[in-house]
Amino acid sequence: MKVLVAIKRVIDYNVKIRAKADGSGVETANVKYSMNPFDEIAVEEAVRLKEAGKASEIVVVSMGVAAAQETIRTALAMGGDRGILVTAEDEIQPLAAAKLLAAIARREQPGLVILGKQAIDDDSNQTGQMLAALLGWPQGTFASKVELGDEAVVTREVDGGLETVALTLPAVVTTDLRLNEPRYASLPNIMKAKKKPIDTVTAGDLGVDVTPRLMTRRVEEPAKRQAGIKVDSVAALVDKLKNEAKVI
Amino acid sequence: MTLLPDLLPTCAAALATVKTLQAAAKESVLALVSRDGKLDSALLEEHQIAAHGYAWLTTYVAALEHMLDWAGRIGAEGKFGELEQLILQAAFGEYVAQIQGGIPISQGEIVRPSDLGLDARMCHSFSSAETALLRRRGNTSAVRMRIAALIEDGHHFGELGLGDETLALIQDQFRRFTEEEVVPYAHDWHLKDELIPIEVVDAVAEMGVFGLTLPEEFGGLGLGKTAMCVVTEELSRGYIGVGSLGTRSEIAGELIRLGGTREQKETWLPKIATGEILPTAVFTEPNTGSDLGSLRTRAVKEGASYTITGNKTWITHAARSDLMTLLVRTDPATKDWKGLSMLLAEKPRGSEDHPFPAPGMSGGEIKVLGYRGMKEYELGFDGFSVPVANLLGGVEGQGFKQLMATFESARIQTAARAVGVAQRAMEEGLKYARERIQFGKPIYAFPRVGGKIAWMAVETMVARQLTYSAAREKDSDRRCDIEAGMAKLLAARVAWSNADNALQVHGGNGYAAEYQISRILCDARILNIFEGAAEIQAQVVARGLLAGGR
Repeated sequence: MKVLVAIKRVIDYNVKIRAKADGSGVETANVKYSMNPFDEIAVEEAVRLKEAGKASEIVVVSMGVAAAQETIRTALAMGGDRGILVTAEDEIQPLAAAKLLAAIARREQPGLVILGKQAIDDDSNQTGQMLAALLGWPQGTFASKVELGDEAVVTREVDGGLETVALTLPAVVTTDLRLNEPRYASLPNIMKAKKKPIDTVTAGDLGVDVTPRLMTRRVEEPAKRQAGIKVDSVAALVDKLKNEAKVI
Repeated sequence: MTLLPDLLPTCAAALATVKTLQAAAKESVLALVSRDGKLDSALLEEHQIAAHGYAWLTTYVAALEHMLDWAGRIGAEGKFGELEQLILQAAFGEYVAQIQGGIPISQGEIVRPSDLGLDARMCHSFSSAETALLRRRGNTSAVRMRIAALIEDGHHFGELGLGDETLALIQDQFRRFTEEEVVPYAHDWHLKDELIPIEVVDAVAEMGVFGLTLPEEFGGLGLGKTAMCVVTEELSRGYIGVGSLGTRSEIAGELIRLGGTREQKETWLPKIATGEILPTAVFTEPNTGSDLGSLRTRAVKEGASYTITGNKTWITHAARSDLMTLLVRTDPATKDWKGLSMLLAEKPRGSEDHPFPAPGMSGGEIKVLGYRGMKEYELGFDGFSVPVANLLGGVEGQGFKQLMATFESARIQTAARAVGVAQRAMEEGLKYARERIQFGKPIYAFPRVGGKIAWMAVETMVARQLTYSAAREKDSDRRCDIEAGMAKLLAARVAWSNADNALQVHGGNGYAAEYQISRILCDARILNIFEGAAEIQAQVVARGLLAGGR
């Protein structure tokens, strides 16, 4: 069975995000990028399925600027077999990403699509769900466990605890944090990844209109937190909560 | 304004000026140490300060040259941002000032142009508008504080300039590996004075570290020394012990790859590459350090084997290793390097209770301040046996030459270890300075603290670029003994000064064993000593520069 994994290139989680002075977005000059951490978990899950003999080929898809190829290369070094880069200059919003992935899924005919549940840059948490809807496939979101047989049995992390769903295949799964711990790419695998193919297509090739539907009006940093004060008695605390904070 | 206008042309012009000073210094030092147009050993010894000072001066000039080269390369990729520009500017400002004023070749020794035989009038002719500008405004407190502000988040210290997607991927993966598998545990290994757990050694092997530079036909990855530097720096940033696990594999690998017979390569290299065999380097003796020609351990051929008698010391990882690259004297008639041979001596891996189970071999641990994790030992050989087939290259008397051929790689690897330690010391200092509140603000806000850390970031980048440049030379198959020596010389000094200053930033807490910086200080100290102490390193560089006409 073929597994399709979608990955996004995002600003590295270690980077302290700064808003641009003109409010048009966040500062991206000289900023480190890496693979969205939830997508790393998706790649790892696919590699484990392959190692367990349940998947035969792992196709990694990313979209956006040409540099996203580096992110695909990382996924190939982790164990992906080949990559597809959908190039686009514009920002790709969740619906456009879902449409592009749907077009690739129709072309590649995977048995399973695995994505991160959300990307750490915009935290939309929409692409996987939209993709399942566009394809008319079942979805298992926020997966903390995936068992693959004739169907996919997915344990989901939901507010009340854990929910287990069985999905007929093909299906879409989005990963939660506790699904697995992604591996590091070893030097031998990094060297092997250099020889793995990455195809490039454009959104136009796939017949998808990626024009943004949402407009960002302004990006600004959260207000600086004020320093706290110490009160010398419980009475003073209660007084402040009542009269200043007005919370009791 | 902190950033100088026209920075690149200013630096290029200043570099040209200091090169004229360097050329004059060379002429002047050569006159001091030559007799009848040839380098004279007695004169070289008499004028050691001048000769070593010239080695350091050349190191500085090379460092600046490679910084300028770095700026050009990352500029072409659009990555020469404000931080990188300020790093370049501060490096030029400081190093130009030191070249003209005096270079600290150790804490207590400053070599001034007059020590190189350059008088004040000559020195004056070696300054220009650009050197004057850089000295005045290149590395001011305001520049350092701006750098401090730009590195404050603790994750970005300037573009590395790897210029290669694969190297960047390697760097990223080893950074993660180290952050998760090494950083949280290293201090505990140090405090308990334990061997690095074998699971970690196995994980390092799994990552491919031991076969990094070995040829693919012998199970290696065929990667270059630049990749080795990247990996070594990241691992050493976590813990010098882990960054040094590969050192002995690198030395043994180089010895066998360059000096071994076909059969020896096929036997040993694939197992070294996978980490199945952990080698150890057995060269030093109680009375033989840098002066290898005086080596005394004897190997006597008796039938199909050599019988070894003698004492060795400072053998790293000796107990938990499987193969000794053992330097011995096979020709008792010789008193110099000519009678030395290298043996590939197998030994059983020792346990905690029986560290040296092999017959004819004993050993004891040497307790050390830092650089723990593999442990140091002295070894005694009395009737220890090595098959004749394990003579490296199959011909006696080649040991010294075989060893010399590996020195370039070993020095480059050691420079990379030093860069990793320097980087970590700086990061620990930064973290502490941002958290420590005194007089109502983080101490990082004070110029004596923030500025110190900024300079550490600058000098770490300088050492890194000099190290990369030596690695690139090696990867291009060019002779780089001098370049490798200069990189090791500078990087070791930077590691020590960073560790010392970062501990200073910690105040009393830095002196407490529980703080990481206390370990890093002890770890950094070895870098100026092993793989050629700073003094002998300067000597080798000086001799190479003065004798070779380079």
